[in-house]
Amino acid sequence: MPAAAPVARRRGGDLLIKTAFRNVGRNRRRTWLTAGGIGFAVFLITASIALQDGSYVGQRQSATGLLTGHVQVVHPMYPEDAKFEQVVGDVGNRLHVLRETPGVRAASARVQSYALVSVGERSFAAQVLGMDIDRERDIVRFFDTVQEGRVPEGADETLIGSALARNLGAGVGDELVLLGSGKQGGIAALALTVSGIYQTGIADIDRALLIAPLRTVQSGFGLGDEAHALVVVGSDPLASAALGERLVTALGPDLRVRTWQEIMPEVEQGIELDRVSGDFMYGIVMILVGFSVVNTFIMVMFERTREFGMLLALGLKPWSIIGMVQLEAFALWVLGTLLGWLLAAPLIGYLMVVGISFGEAMEQLAEQMYMPSSIHAAVTWRALLTAPLIMLIATQIAAFLPSLRLRRMRPVLALRQET
Amino acid sequence: MKVGLLATLSVRNLLRHRRRNAMLVAAIVVAVAGVTFMNSFIRGFQQDLRDSAVANLTGHIKVHAPGYRDDPSIERSFEVATSWQPDIDAQALQGWAARVRVPAVIMSERETRGVQLVGIDPAQEGISFLGDVEFEGEQLSGVGDKRVFLGAALRDQLDTRVGRRLVLITQGSDGRNREAGFRIAGVYDAEGTALEKAYVFTGREALQNLLDTHAVTEVSIRLLQDPAGPSIQRRLLSYFTGLEVLGWRELEPQVAAMFVFADTAIFIWFSIMMGALVFGLVNSLITAVMERVREFGMLRAVGMRPGAVIVQVVMESTVLMAAGVAIGLGIGWLLCASLADGLDLSQWASGVEMVGMRSLVVPRLYGEDMLLVAVLSLVLGVVASLYPAWRAVKINPLEAMRR
Repeated sequence: MPAAAPVARRRGGDLLIKTAFRNVGRNRRRTWLTAGGIGFAVFLITASIALQDGSYVGQRQSATGLLTGHVQVVHPMYPEDAKFEQVVGDVGNRLHVLRETPGVRAASARVQSYALVSVGERSFAAQVLGMDIDRERDIVRFFDTVQEGRVPEGADETLIGSALARNLGAGVGDELVLLGSGKQGGIAALALTVSGIYQTGIADIDRALLIAPLRTVQSGFGLGDEAHALVVVGSDPLASAALGERLVTALGPDLRVRTWQEIMPEVEQGIELDRVSGDFMYGIVMILVGFSVVNTFIMVMFERTREFGMLLALGLKPWSIIGMVQLEAFALWVLGTLLGWLLAAPLIGYLMVVGISFGEAMEQLAEQMYMPSSIHAAVTWRALLTAPLIMLIATQIAAFLPSLRLRRMRPVLALRQET
Repeated sequence: MKVGLLATLSVRNLLRHRRRNAMLVAAIVVAVAGVTFMNSFIRGFQQDLRDSAVANLTGHIKVHAPGYRDDPSIERSFEVATSWQPDIDAQALQGWAARVRVPAVIMSERETRGVQLVGIDPAQEGISFLGDVEFEGEQLSGVGDKRVFLGAALRDQLDTRVGRRLVLITQGSDGRNREAGFRIAGVYDAEGTALEKAYVFTGREALQNLLDTHAVTEVSIRLLQDPAGPSIQRRLLSYFTGLEVLGWRELEPQVAAMFVFADTAIFIWFSIMMGALVFGLVNSLITAVMERVREFGMLRAVGMRPGAVIVQVVMESTVLMAAGVAIGLGIGWLLCASLADGLDLSQWASGVEMVGMRSLVVPRLYGEDMLLVAVLSLVLGVVASLYPAWRAVKINPLEAMRR
């Protein structure tokens, strides 16, 4: 009967599945310990990656959101030379083009130069950054770091860093005199009143950066409708490369478009470093659990030699039995993964909602590394699937290696073995 | 029953299931070797962090005038007798340096930047990062040298080179600005660009003359080891009365926080590894007990005490653990030895610099860390065997024999 064979095979398959699950249930303690090992790995790795990935999201947002933005459009040579003359012209029109480009949430012009800043007899050098403050205060986080006074409103007001203020002995309301060199070597002089003092926690910035209104700096340093950078913010820091390409298309090839990853490579590198060291740890944890699964299956083989011998004597093919053992491994994996996810879920939930806040001592350190003051977990595919997928492969291999001896097993000898 | 007999029984039992137990030992080896290796890296990182901080003109201990750290000007300075030597055992002292450090504006023909101008005695600076930077051009000849040397990154920013002149503006001791021209003697290449951009060096006396002072703003002391307690600080304070004498932990609180965190990281790492290991360990031990129900029943029937049963199971676990720990430590040690030249992280150089590390991390293995790993692992081995041992004790001889 040609039709009967597939049915019988299917029945045989069902039987194997049933047997496999019954075997998993037969030695409960061992099942739970093995699944517990898998669950521990899944729990630990899922929760750790969720926290890692969440912290990366925070770090990227914090790094780009402070001042840098997602993409900057500059003069082709400006990144290498940083000369004052290397400006982007026709700023008004170009900003208009940028704002019309899809994916651009905001675009704004900045000028920067160095100047000697004096209060009375005291002088320090500082980087002067001219920003369209009204527009940028809603875009960048920088203006949230104002500790004293307020953001500049008038044309002759300025915001200085806490360390610069301390070095200069200047406070809110004091007048600063800025002396620098403008376009074509001309002398640029500005008198500005301190409207506020900021503190980012990043020493290099707090010591040396002075913010003033864009127009004031432009005219003070002899610039017209020109800027050193057009700063663009999109929706997602990670989409900066695609955004950059669209900007190149929109503006033409005369200008250089730099993503934040190019401007501050340390952020992505720091993330990469963290990821690599994390992966090393997860690798070892999974190897350890893999060993324990191999061990379980060595024991299974040993204990059930008689049973397998009988199945072979009844005419089952060795590969069918191996398939059954693989199914058992699969069932263990399902159990372990569910256990791991179940344990991880409340922890990840807590870390998403409440997060981890850095203590007083670590907070400044965190700021230095562009870490937000508290980090929250994020559920990503990487977090959810890394451990389960690798453990799936590991458990299948762990079950397969010991069961290979089924191929050479002699039913008669196996049946005779004592347990 | 004699312990010797129990030990023989344990070893024999372990050898009976070679494959299973070899697998378990392999797992312990991976865990212990992994812990040892990672441990040595965290230690290497920790040391590196501290050494960089200490070498970064900080030293282990530093003397400042009060308020200098908030307002680093020459007005907050102090005088040191020319004959002064720190009252520290020569065997603990690496060296010391007296410096004048003031903020200054530096100008080339093209660019202007803000820097820290540091007047040094070149002979004393073996204690700071200047002792092992690469140099282009000449070093300063002595405290009276009126030339400057600066970092490569700053040279590029200022668009200048060795032999050219620079103008420096800084505040003198009378509060008025001084402006002076300096010729560039040399350029140093430190590992990160942050140092290169921050510091410009000149002769100490030359700078004192410019500022009209005989005072210095800091005395930095470097020891051969991290000081054990505040006793050296106290001794210095008795000489420098009224001044601030601080250790690197107070001067660089962020680094100190990272330093402490590294200790915690080692424990977290250890617990995770051992946590993953314990499932397999308990699993194997329970199986080993359940397989031998008849054997244990018989032993009990012929008069073995429950205590001896426990000892035997615990001993089996300990023997396994000891073998795994010994091999694991050996492999961990070999791994570290093979990386004695350091692991090159320069692929992530700026990321590494952001964290305050150097891009070459040399693993450091300490005897006490290895001992701790060994002891904690053995303790864990005992703890993991308690439940299986308890199961073995619960075996009822009569029922067991009937099986």
